[in-house]
This record gives sequence, structure tokens and C-alpha cells, in this order.
Amino acid sequence: MRLGVGLWCLQSTAHRPRPHVRAYRELRDDARLIERLGFDGIWLSEHHFFYDGYCPALLPAAASALAVTSRLRVGTGMLLLPLQDPRRVATCAADLARRSGGRFDLGVGLGYREAEFAGKGLSLRERLPRLLRGLEVLEPAGVPVWMGGATVRSAARAGARGHPILLSGALPTAKVLDLARAHRAAWEAARRPGPAPVVGALRNVWVTDDPAEREAVLDWVRASYVLYAGLGWAVAAEGEHRKMDFQRDAGAAIADAVATTVVGSADRVVEALEELAEGGVGYVACRLMLEGAPRAAIHAVLHRLANGVLPRLRDAVAA
Amino acid sequence: MRLGLVLPPGGEADLAGRAEAHGLFGALVGGPEPGQEMIAAAYAAATTEALRVVVRVPLHSEQPVTLAEELAVLDNVAGGRLVVLADTGELSAGRAGQDLAALRELWSGRPVQPPGAAAPVMLTPAPAQVEIPVWLDGPAAPELSASSGLPPLALRPADVRPHGLVRPARAALSGDLDADRALASTWRAAGATHLLLELPPGREPDAVLTLVSRHLAPEVGMVGFPRVISESAAPLPWPQTS
Repeated sequence: MRLGVGLWCLQSTAHRPRPHVRAYRELRDDARLIERLGFDGIWLSEHHFFYDGYCPALLPAAASALAVTSRLRVGTGMLLLPLQDPRRVATCAADLARRSGGRFDLGVGLGYREAEFAGKGLSLRERLPRLLRGLEVLEPAGVPVWMGGATVRSAARAGARGHPILLSGALPTAKVLDLARAHRAAWEAARRPGPAPVVGALRNVWVTDDPAEREAVLDWVRASYVLYAGLGWAVAAEGEHRKMDFQRDAGAAIADAVATTVVGSADRVVEALEELAEGGVGYVACRLMLEGAPRAAIHAVLHRLANGVLPRLRDAVAA
Repeated sequence: MRLGLVLPPGGEADLAGRAEAHGLFGALVGGPEPGQEMIAAAYAAATTEALRVVVRVPLHSEQPVTLAEELAVLDNVAGGRLVVLADTGELSAGRAGQDLAALRELWSGRPVQPPGAAAPVMLTPAPAQVEIPVWLDGPAAPELSASSGLPPLALRPADVRPHGLVRPARAALSGDLDADRALASTWRAAGATHLLLELPPGREPDAVLTLVSRHLAPEVGMVGFPRVISESAAPLPWPQTS
């Protein structure tokens, strides 16, 4: 299993303000540290017109991290493809791949905020056709593409097209495993040549043996999902998994998201990640950029993951 | 007059760092295809700390909101060192002016309704600078400069505008000391304030950059530069033995 970290959003929030110049400098510093510690990659995330300056332009941000590293992979999790000209995205992605020695992972997603589409003169109703048309431009260009997803439909779409997927961090383990199966089944049904594309999952994990830090981490996860109440995110109900509606029932959705958190000893974290590997997940991006978490705490947990978890996961192979 | 470097596509991270090490004020980056200039600018910005990153942006290559967001992010990556060289391309001065006005409105921090947008937006993050400097290039640059007051990039000494505090220009070095001294002197006499220099093809960049920093920059950096300084032997390097 490969291990990365996410999601760097370059925000200056109500509870953790900072100049954006510092946010972008810290991204470069963090990328160097994460590379030195041996992680596979770092993932960035996109939104538009939000008060905290949530990064609206992932390609230049990713380029800045790639420019100061030599081994680390840098991914977009996710670039909102319906909002951009896909030919220009393909050109930039190919340029980044060439400059970085193939270390750029272009992850693309649908987007869900009406305001982001309206601000670019688009309708939210156009998002799926625009995503599919965009993929038709990216795929022949030879650009490796990851897709985002939180539903069976999106996982199957990625699998059928032969793309790796990075699943949302708010999903319970049982749903992650359902989506991994749906991705694999759709890939097998499409009878594409070559190895199966990887299933990745963003997960809330934190290594600590300190009960006070454990309590703080769970509250940082809570605070980080309050953001999605502000953004208006929702995950549709599917099968036995109930709807997560961060806008209309924020309390329940946030509680469900916090319940996905694995916080404890390195043994506990390794056990949880091995369960995912056994269920077909080959890549985990640890969701560490939590609202309220001081930078020193994030650096401390990066070191703990690098020392106590990374070496033990190298032999875990996705089933 | 301040001297900068035109970076050829592909080697920005390396050459931007060398330009900074030689004390140049800035470096111009662009790309053969739309969008590549943003990547080139990010590489140049991330690998330097004081150099001005002048990015040549083809107007109308993406919708203005996306261009404005990317440039605002770049200005933050660069710590407020971005200069936009807006290339009018095939656009008329009127159309280029509309696009440019939309970009600058979006950077203002006010709620604005961009062309084609269904609702007003506020662009976030805002640029790091109070106002991103904008220079003009392309066929419609002179006309757009006259209507907007923004400085055009002069390609001939006769085209340096006679007014304004900022009068940028671009020229090609030959690598020959006497010829390049004459070139720099001509541009200074024409009133240029920021001269972006192309490296001569086939020459080792560090040798040419040394020519620039040792000979040209001092000559255009004061009135009556005493050449005895640049023509005397360079001080010995630190003799590190281990």
C-alpha cells in the first residue's frame, strides 16, 4: 500500500488565519518535509469564491510544490474539470509531467457548488456532461487521470474508464470497501488491458497515544467538516449507507464524518489501513490538514506516521 | 535602468535562480501553448525569493475569472513579486481592454459580475500585492496603452513611451561585450526603465549572465560608471580545501 497525505487547501480560516503568501510558502516547506519523510505524495484541493481563499487554481499551486521537490508526487484532489477548458488543462498537465519527471497526478472531479458554476457563467446542471467531454479530451492526450468519488456511480464510472480513484474522506470504511468493489467490478466488466487501476482513499487517521491529543484531534476533524456545512456538500444515500447532508443536517453529517476517524497508536492505524488494503484499497491519503490543528501538531504526526506506519505498510498489497 | 532576463520555455526553475543570483530585477516567462505560462511562472516563483516574475499571459486564452484566479494564486506563490505582461494576441484593443478590465476588477477585492457570469463573485484569495502591475504586449498594445495608461513593452528604442514612471522594454543580447554595452546604453538613452534581455543562442548562460551583472548592470545603474571597477580582476574565490 502506498501512503500520501492531504488535503492542502491553502486557506486562511476564521479560526486559523494567516497571510496567503505564508500558506503558499508553507505548502513548499511541507512538500519538502513530506518528501524527506518518505511519503508517496501530497494532494491539493480546490474551491472558488470562498471567504478563506480556498485554493481556486491547483495547477500553479501544484507546480510550485513540484518545483521544490524531486521525488514526491503531487496530486490534485480534485481539480474541478467542468469549470475549465480541458484542452488547456491537458496542456498544463502534460507540461507538469514533463518538468517533474512524471510526478504529477491529475485528479478531476465534478464540483457541487452552484455559486462556483454561476460565477463562471455555467450551470450546475452542465457538470456531468462537461466532465465527460473533458475526459474525452484528457484521455487521448495520454495524461494519467485520477477521478474523485463518493458514490457507487462515480466509482463505477472511474473503473469502467480505467482511471484510478481517490474516494472521499468522509465515508465510513464499509462504504469505502463497497466503492472499491464497484470500481473493480466496472473495470473488469470493461475488459480493459493492463493492471487494474488503483483505488485510493482519503482517510482521517492520526497517530497518538495521548488521550488529550486524541480528544483534540477528534475536535479538529469536527471543525474541518464544519467547512463542508458552509460549502453545502452532500453525499447521496446508497444501499445501507444513509445520506450525508452537510447543509441540511450538518450535525448528523459531521458526526458521521468524525466517526470515520482512526486515532490511536501506530498499531491501531496500521490495522485500520491493512483492513482497507484487504478490501482492495491500494493507496491512502491521510487527511491531516484539519481545521484548528497547529502546524507543529501536523509535523509531529507526519513524523509518527513516517516512523511507525509507513515502513509497515510497504508490504501490504491491495487484494 | 534595471535589467532582467527572458527565460526560454522549459528551464525556468534553473535559469530563474541563476538570474536572481546575478542580481537581475526580474525574469520574463511564457509558454508556447496557453496555460503553460502559469506553470512556468510557478516554477520561477517557487525557486526564487526576490526576483520579479513577469508572466506573459495571452488574454482570452481562458475565461477571465479563471485567469484572474490563477494569477492571484501565482502572486501569492511569488510573495507579491508577480508582473503580468498581457498579450493582446489577435484581439482588438477594445476587446483586450474589456478582458483586462475584468481581470483587474476581479483582483480589486470588490464583488464583481464578470462577463458571462450569472452572479457577482469575490475572487479569493486576493493577490498579495495591493495592485498587480500590468504591462502590455501584442499588436493592440499601443492603442490599449493609450486608452488604459498601462505601459507597453517596447521592442525598439523608438517605441519607448515618452511618459510614465515605468517604461519596460525587451532586447536580444549578442554575447559580445562591446555590442551589448552599446545596446544597453541605447535603451537607457531611449528612456527604458526595465529591460528584459534574451540570451544569445548557443552561449553558456552563466558566462552571459556574468557579462550582464559585471558589465551591463553597473553601466546602466548609475550615471558615469567608472569602468575600472568592472574591468579590474575579479576577487579570488574562498580557497576551501575540504
